[in-house]
Amino acid sequence: MAKTLFENIWDAHVVAQEPESPAVLYIDLHLIHEVTSPQAFDGLRKRGIKVRRPDRTFGTLDHGIPTTDRSLPIVDELAARQITIMERNCAENGIQLYGIKTGADKQGIVHVIGPELGLTQPGMTIVCGDSHTATHGAFGSLGFGIGTSEVEMVLSTQCLLQRKPKTCNVRIDGALKKGVTAKDIILGIIAKYGVGGGTGLVYEYTGTAIRTMTMEERMTVCNMSIEGGSRAGLIAPDETTFNFVAGREFAPKGAEWDKKLAWWKTLPSDAEAQYDVTYSLDADALEPMITYGTNPGMGMNITERIPDPDKIADLSQRKALEKALSYMGLQPNQQLLGHKVDMVFIGSCTNSRISDLREAAALLKGRKVAEGVRVLVVPGSTPIKKQAEAEGLDQIFRAAGAEWREAGCSACIAMNGDQLEPGQYGISTSNRNFEGRQGKGGRTFLASPLTAAASAVTGVVTDARVLTN
Amino acid sequence: MKFAGAAWKYGDDVNTDVIFPGKYTYTLTDLSQFASHALEDLDPDFAKQVQVGDIIVGGKNFGCGSSREQAAVCIKLAGVPVIVARSFARIFFRNCVNNGVLPVVCPEAVDAVEKGEAIEVDVAACIVRTPRGEFAFPPLSPSVAAILEAGGLIKMLRRKLGTEHLPMPEVKFAGE
Repeated sequence: MAKTLFENIWDAHVVAQEPESPAVLYIDLHLIHEVTSPQAFDGLRKRGIKVRRPDRTFGTLDHGIPTTDRSLPIVDELAARQITIMERNCAENGIQLYGIKTGADKQGIVHVIGPELGLTQPGMTIVCGDSHTATHGAFGSLGFGIGTSEVEMVLSTQCLLQRKPKTCNVRIDGALKKGVTAKDIILGIIAKYGVGGGTGLVYEYTGTAIRTMTMEERMTVCNMSIEGGSRAGLIAPDETTFNFVAGREFAPKGAEWDKKLAWWKTLPSDAEAQYDVTYSLDADALEPMITYGTNPGMGMNITERIPDPDKIADLSQRKALEKALSYMGLQPNQQLLGHKVDMVFIGSCTNSRISDLREAAALLKGRKVAEGVRVLVVPGSTPIKKQAEAEGLDQIFRAAGAEWREAGCSACIAMNGDQLEPGQYGISTSNRNFEGRQGKGGRTFLASPLTAAASAVTGVVTDARVLTN
Repeated sequence: MKFAGAAWKYGDDVNTDVIFPGKYTYTLTDLSQFASHALEDLDPDFAKQVQVGDIIVGGKNFGCGSSREQAAVCIKLAGVPVIVARSFARIFFRNCVNNGVLPVVCPEAVDAVEKGEAIEVDVAACIVRTPRGEFAFPPLSPSVAAILEAGGLIKMLRRKLGTEHLPMPEVKFAGE
């Protein structure tokens, strides 16, 4: 029978399936960070048991770690404590940690370093106590975000309970116009199908626009699958994928590579495979996207006007939009172009890879950040930071007046002091614009690195094509 | 088992950041403080006025966003034993079950109840009773029922593994 990519991976990992119950799935790779794992380790310690597969568990420091100079003591006592606990948990259990004292040269955001180290490979099941684990789906691996009880379960059993989701073919054909990016594709999908459009589904992104993308672009698309409400996002592995994985630290080598590669090539969906649902987006028609509201589905073409709640028939949606606009301090039918911004954040597991930094730097080169605008550029990993510095990108950012930081989650989740003040507006390349997400009372516009960089220069929401054409 | 209480009603796409702001995930180390911040950025009155046994009623995609389990835990610690919604985001749904909060999918009941009205969830009969009628919801799957009955995922696993006689760890949320 014809099978989808999802079914191929799923079937290869079911350990047990009791009737009317979730499947017991084997987990190939468990990534952990300092915020959602300590409680799980406490649980194990008090139960007197060890991590079952420390060799398949890898840790990093990203969520709470400061992105300022790390040779200095950490000022935030709680962050310092969290980091100490993570170091101890990993040391006691024989888990490789990419942190400050160990593996510092490879530290970074969990969803950036997994692929970078070659840990993320096609056909794998990957979990992390972080909802953006969907990022790894760019490699044709099934990535699920999990809660801390589940982190404890995976640490102790290397298995996860999971109900089999339905599949959705998200078909994106066409070619992106200049100035339109992978971020605009995923913001476009979420604006079109809503933040609940993927409930109970696994998205598989297909079509010519996806096939021609780099791995970094594919990761940006898969990363925000969770914002579309789907359980995971997938892209079939191809030569682009194999070329990216080959030669990385944890990639298979020699005969093992040949064996894995042969299997990976069998993973893509059969031409006759049936999906439960089909969605589509026309890449040719897509424009740069921006969000105006308080969920990632409240997005529009950057040149459009904010929708009018009075014209929305669905009562619940109308109320949600009214509430969002009130929080955002915006009016119906208003244009966002030209709206002032106080902070620009270029970073996060969505858009902090070298290509994102190159794009932003190309726009900022020879230009200055507008007065009164704070610009944070936070690379996704320490290797990306070094790469950027080798290319002189840090000099471009600094010369323009932006802050060049150490790798971490930073202002995306605003746990480490990198945040908006109440009432301030920020344009952010991250993935969530929820109330208070980037600081209490802070107002977030989500957009691509290009749009963010252009807005940094002008101090107002700007269509980058105006500056680059 | 029946749960009866006053309804706290909210709209679609209630996200985990407004249920439990990310900044508290390690600034709050004491579980006793969790409840006082529950739903802080959604409804500041909730934490002040919620009574033990009250029931949250939500729209579509309830609990979307982060995997941080504190969002489910703070609702439990606020004394809310059950959430009735049109649909749930998956990670939050499992986090609820794994912490012993019952997530009930029943769109008709959501339509039939207003804020502050009395609502009853009859788990055995799979019925939600509202001022505007009774509505059936699909029975809980055996695995979900077993986890809820045990009081959470870890407790269920201990029971299955025969280690329930050992002392249950007192897990705090910031590591120690």
